[in-house]
Amino acid sequence: MIELLKVPSLLTVQDSGRGGYRKLGVPVSGYMDDYSARIANYLVGNPENAPLLEFLPMGPTLRFNASAVFAVAGDVEVRLNGVPVEPWTSYWAKRGDVLEVGALRSGLYGYIAFAGGIKCEPLLGSCSTYAKAGLGRPLKAGDVLNLGYAILTGRDGKRLPEGLWPDYSAQEITVSVVLGPDLEHFTEEGVNTFLSEAYTVTPESDRMGYRLDGKTIEHSEKGAGIVTSPLVPGSVQVPANGKPIVMMRDAQTTGGYAKIGVVISAHLHRLAQLRPGFRVRFKEVTVEEARKELLRKEKTLEAIKLFLEGRLRAYRIKAEEKSFIALAGKV
Amino acid sequence: MQPEIKPAGDSALLISFGEAIDEGVNLRVHAIAKAIEKASPEWLVEVVPAYSSLLVIYDPLKAGYNEIETSVKAFLNAELEEFQGRLIEVPVVYGGEYGPDIEFVAKYNGLTVDEVIEIHSRPIYRVYFLGFLPGFAYLGGMDERIATPRLEKPRLKVPAGSVGIAGKQTGWYAIESPAGWRIIGRTPLRLFNPSKEQPTLVQPGDRVKFVPIDEEEFEKLYRAEWGRGDD
Repeated sequence: MIELLKVPSLLTVQDSGRGGYRKLGVPVSGYMDDYSARIANYLVGNPENAPLLEFLPMGPTLRFNASAVFAVAGDVEVRLNGVPVEPWTSYWAKRGDVLEVGALRSGLYGYIAFAGGIKCEPLLGSCSTYAKAGLGRPLKAGDVLNLGYAILTGRDGKRLPEGLWPDYSAQEITVSVVLGPDLEHFTEEGVNTFLSEAYTVTPESDRMGYRLDGKTIEHSEKGAGIVTSPLVPGSVQVPANGKPIVMMRDAQTTGGYAKIGVVISAHLHRLAQLRPGFRVRFKEVTVEEARKELLRKEKTLEAIKLFLEGRLRAYRIKAEEKSFIALAGKV
Repeated sequence: MQPEIKPAGDSALLISFGEAIDEGVNLRVHAIAKAIEKASPEWLVEVVPAYSSLLVIYDPLKAGYNEIETSVKAFLNAELEEFQGRLIEVPVVYGGEYGPDIEFVAKYNGLTVDEVIEIHSRPIYRVYFLGFLPGFAYLGGMDERIATPRLEKPRLKVPAGSVGIAGKQTGWYAIESPAGWRIIGRTPLRLFNPSKEQPTLVQPGDRVKFVPIDEEEFEKLYRAEWGRGDD
């Protein structure tokens, strides 16, 4: 059992999301950065979809009322009973220990996973918070969270090698998009603008959508409005003002603005971590290339999981003056 | 009419019958959606129907786009069922603080408020689909005499249960949300309840009849439906 002592920013419980209810208008929700969140779960020996804490951008202070294994994912200062410990590493906390998680130095969303996962009553099959519809609520100081059952032995002391920590510090990133499905609502010039300009994330961005500012994208004579049609997270809607909005995990299930493209599944977490004021560029890929990129991401995460389970080894490799970490071989 | 099939990103495929808002097209959309759900191919995540299009959401780790497109084509001629859903009566208190835009709707269409209420509550509407936000119902069959454009600037929020008009459409906001539709009334019914396995009051294909009620009855029904009333 853990008790939240201080909650300085938005703190919610999330898992991999809510499936099967989109035809009733219920968004999929789930962790904004699936890459970090899944690693956080792997670090404590959980399945990747176990419910965990998502904070934005400042972590909470909490007390363990029973011993538990935890890990924090993010570029952030972590203290256990006032003593600095590392992110991307699992530790064993005992009854009475206090965990303080600071503000992210880079990126936007951080995660705290606990062995056994946060115990919750799933609503429509998921513990993901979507407060607008009464599906959970943001957490506040004084809330007490129960943890699921976990065999504690051997689950602390797992550490992701520093060379594999995701780097979300870049002020400008490029993400890939599959163009469409409403391309006929844009002029060729409009599409060129979208694929050649940098767009800035505005502060009016949240888990539902990232509103971007930049050069106006030109619509064709068909205009910005379409007959309301369904959409997925990653969809880039362009309303009449020509400024794109990327739909995120809490995206509405249908929309009436033309979609110029969809950010690929493998890259959406990188966009999620982009801070307001930072810039994104869009690069066109085919749906087959997008799938290959996703398979690569899944392979990397699988390798990380096997490494954390002690089934792969990490090697430092130097090639062309560059040094990086590679995971290989059976232990 | 053969629909257009195209990728909507790398995890979804859009089947589109163009821009029609038409009962026949919508029936076909639902027939295809049901056929795909019934077959439940192993790559299927979920199907989301709308007016004249449906989105087939898939797991790209299990199959590639071309394979899915080929497989989806087999469902395009799914047999139409004249699916007759339940008839659900939805009590609405029209006007006043519950429907702040009803006078605008009346004036815009050269009608009296009472005429707007009469015209809005007379038809039996069909639920074309649920979308946008949880439980938000897109209803077909509104009389064009009360069609009114959306607000120029959407309200920041309207209460759950608000019933509105946008162009030739009518529908409701099942949860509190920002709203660009002209709000003409409000139902005390709880249209979305996440603690129920079937969380929405209506499903696509159901039919809806609005029944005008007064404020007193609204309060009574609201308390019965929402418990303490401020929950």
